Amino acid sequence: MIDDEKLFAWLDGELEPEEAAEVEAAVAADDRLGALAQHHRRMQLQLSAAFDSVAELPMPDGLRKAAAPGVEIHHFPRARRLWGVPQWAAMAATLAVGVMAGSLIAPRSTAPVAADSGKLYAAADLDRALDTQLASAPAGDRIRVGLTFRDRRGAICRSFTGPGESGVACADGERWQVRGLFAPASGQQSEYRMAAGPDPNLMALVDSMIAGEPLDAAAERTARDRGWK
Amino acid sequence: MGSSVTFENGLVALLPRLRRFAHALSRSRADADDLTQVTLERALRSRDQWRAGTRLDSWLYRIMRNLWIDTARARTRRAKFEAPAEEGEHLGQDPRPAMDATLDLRRAMDAMSSLPDEQREVVALVLVEGFGYRETAEMLELPVGTVASRLARGRIALLQMLGEPA
Repeated sequence: MIDDEKLFAWLDGELEPEEAAEVEAAVAADDRLGALAQHHRRMQLQLSAAFDSVAELPMPDGLRKAAAPGVEIHHFPRARRLWGVPQWAAMAATLAVGVMAGSLIAPRSTAPVAADSGKLYAAADLDRALDTQLASAPAGDRIRVGLTFRDRRGAICRSFTGPGESGVACADGERWQVRGLFAPASGQQSEYRMAAGPDPNLMALVDSMIAGEPLDAAAERTARDRGWK
Repeated sequence: MGSSVTFENGLVALLPRLRRFAHALSRSRADADDLTQVTLERALRSRDQWRAGTRLDSWLYRIMRNLWIDTARARTRRAKFEAPAEEGEHLGQDPRPAMDATLDLRRAMDAMSSLPDEQREVVALVLVEGFGYRETAEMLELPVGTVASRLARGRIALLQMLGEPA
């Protein structure tokens, strides 16, 4: 007999492997239990998606100032007006650094990030790097992939660092949806920054998204061969 | 200087998560942003109490949760006199990203608000913020079993409210 708490603990990945296997077998064998698990899983996805949309709400100026007193805030008014980039993307960039990085999201075919229907996707060589490059690959490429991991919804996500930007993108069908974007801090351009190790903002973002451990080199290669599904 | 840079970067980086947590706890978007703001202000004033090397996120969540609890009584009293949550609140200025969410934020906040406080905070930390049971138990200073049972009750109530379209 699987009680509610145990079923939920299983859904949340809180059970030891043995117990998890027991629940998994029970869920597979019992249609009613299977349907219940399905309903709860869907409800949780909806709930977390609803609250994730908070990131798309305009950030009140008071909050920005409270978070970073003394940091001069630069707005990106053009980004949203011209290309429909949601506020959060501008926020991620402004907040992280307080410096302008206008080339990040630009209407050029070489820009690493492109907006589509209000979402941001990797483009050009960022898209290529995310598709093909393994995190274990030797450094030297313009864009470096840091960690590959699964988020709480099971999508493959990868953190990246380039000369002008760093961030996290997750596989969304055939594309990489950019889930967070940071511009380098002032005085921390390119090589210096690459040598300085991971950006704490980036690590905090990964930390907020990751489910379990990052993929190791073998699992990463397998994931790539399966098209990042 | 090192730890102050880390603290400030961390605060800024965690702002989106804190704001999301505030929305999961609060009845209205205005309350959520107020809660976020007082949390940031309190955190900056109390920064000496944060020990570098310990998790900044748990520390900030705990501050927010305690501030939220502190205002719980006033909130309940006021709620009796307030009109239902704002009509016509929209998600951002560009409607498109908002349309992607099958359950919109307004509905999710209403459902969360109907949970008792002690279930709501557990649901917010585990289901919305993705913390493990043990981390949640530590933040709330509760036994893990209590976290699991409150989470179960909250979840069952939420499924009734949100789960199946009528």
